[in-house]
Amino acid sequence: MAKEPKKSEKNLTFEEALESLENISSRLESGELGLDDSIAEFEKGMRLARFCQGKIEEAERKIEILQKGKDYDIRETAVKVNRETGEIEDDENLQGSLL
Amino acid sequence: MNQNPLTVTELTKIIKKALETNPSLSNLWLSGEISNLTYHSSGHIYFSLKDENSVIQATFFKYANRNLSFRLEEGMAVIVLGNVSIYGKRGTYQINVQALQPAGLGELQKRIEELKKRLSEEGLFDPARKKAIPFFPLRVGLVTSPTGAALRDILKVALRRFPNLSVLIAPATVQGSDAPAAIAHALETLNEGSYDLDCIILGRGGGSFEDLMPFNEEVVIRAIAASRVPVISAVGHQIDHPLSDDVADASAPTPSAAAEILIPDVRELHNEVSYYLTRSERALLTRLERVSDRLDSLTSRRVFTDPMQLLTMRQMWLAEVENRMKYSLTTSLNSARNRLQNLPDITWLENKILESSRYRYRLALQKLENMSPLAVLERGYTIVRNREGEIIRNVRSMEKGDQVTLTMQDGSARGIIESTKPEEV
Repeated sequence: MAKEPKKSEKNLTFEEALESLENISSRLESGELGLDDSIAEFEKGMRLARFCQGKIEEAERKIEILQKGKDYDIRETAVKVNRETGEIEDDENLQGSLL
Repeated sequence: MNQNPLTVTELTKIIKKALETNPSLSNLWLSGEISNLTYHSSGHIYFSLKDENSVIQATFFKYANRNLSFRLEEGMAVIVLGNVSIYGKRGTYQINVQALQPAGLGELQKRIEELKKRLSEEGLFDPARKKAIPFFPLRVGLVTSPTGAALRDILKVALRRFPNLSVLIAPATVQGSDAPAAIAHALETLNEGSYDLDCIILGRGGGSFEDLMPFNEEVVIRAIAASRVPVISAVGHQIDHPLSDDVADASAPTPSAAAEILIPDVRELHNEVSYYLTRSERALLTRLERVSDRLDSLTSRRVFTDPMQLLTMRQMWLAEVENRMKYSLTTSLNSARNRLQNLPDITWLENKILESSRYRYRLALQKLENMSPLAVLERGYTIVRNREGEIIRNVRSMEKGDQVTLTMQDGSARGIIESTKPEEV
């Protein structure tokens, strides 16, 4: 397990977690691990899978557009998007929306 | 002497009518060189077009020059589309320009090449300057027209691949003479604010060579180079290759391709996670089977020395293996279940894990059943039952003359006990 980067699981990127998970499946398949280590590795794999799942779920799912306010400050305005067509639905929000 | 002379205005009207109704003087293409160029504060552009021998005044009104994507210069060779008309107040004729393009694209091409050479010497296109595009961006900035097809295309593809993606649109006009400054400003704004973006897509749909000129302008190139957030240039169609492609950290042939490249398809990611997990589970089961095989070979040696203890040992071992399997598989199952209860909606992946854990667990149990004591009959053991069909476990419960049934792997036999000989304990 020396190959494993010493990084706490919470600070992993998605890519690192996926790579770790792949390494675990390969190590388990190599049959080099004892029974207890195998189970421990498997559980770590489960944690990584949940971590990946969490990353996907944690994203905010919001679409915003930057607009210039009356006093020339720039602020974000949420807009609704039709997910089939990519069309912005409440496009009155786009009136005069150029920065 | 004619008593009814025309007024100047009347004559002008007649000339005007003659000019404007002559089909060869309207919607005509005219080539010439620009001189006496004036960009008026009203937004109109005035200049003269000339060749070696002649000159004509030209007006290029604001409504018509709005989409001009490059700046006119003295001496520039151009082709214009326009109508000849008369300007009565000055008694001059002129051409009202509706559209203008460089005479041959050579002119613009030359400017682009010069800019490219100059910026390249500064190192702006150096591959070492390019930033890595993130593998799994959660929040993406878009610099594009708020009403263009590029925005729709990017949103459609991106949200299909990753429904939870967060997007921040910095609207910018992407065509015409205001476009370069607007694009640069939008890029700077996204970098200045604390918007926490993982990547920016600079997008614009297809258009003519001149339409895409803003993406060849120095101010835009410099804004891309200065961006701290990685930028993907996604301008026009496959064949277009503006300088923004060279300076950006990555380029895509079209806006929707940029979304494909940048945003991972979460279903594929789910599948990948699930694939590694299944491999791990299978490997763990194989590992458990290896333990069982070893125990098996150890216990079978004892068959000859201590046959009565075998069943007890086997049962103990079965219990042990079962516990281990239960531990490894049902803890995962339980924790997955716990998680499910805490989540508002059941997600695909967790169902999948649950399903596959259940399946693996069923397989494991089936394996255990196959190895139950009954299967031991195959190895030469016999179950002895009395007339009531009860299993006889010790010699002391039998007497001479008892009728017994012997169950073996392939059938049964009946017999009568001739004698018994209990061992002294």
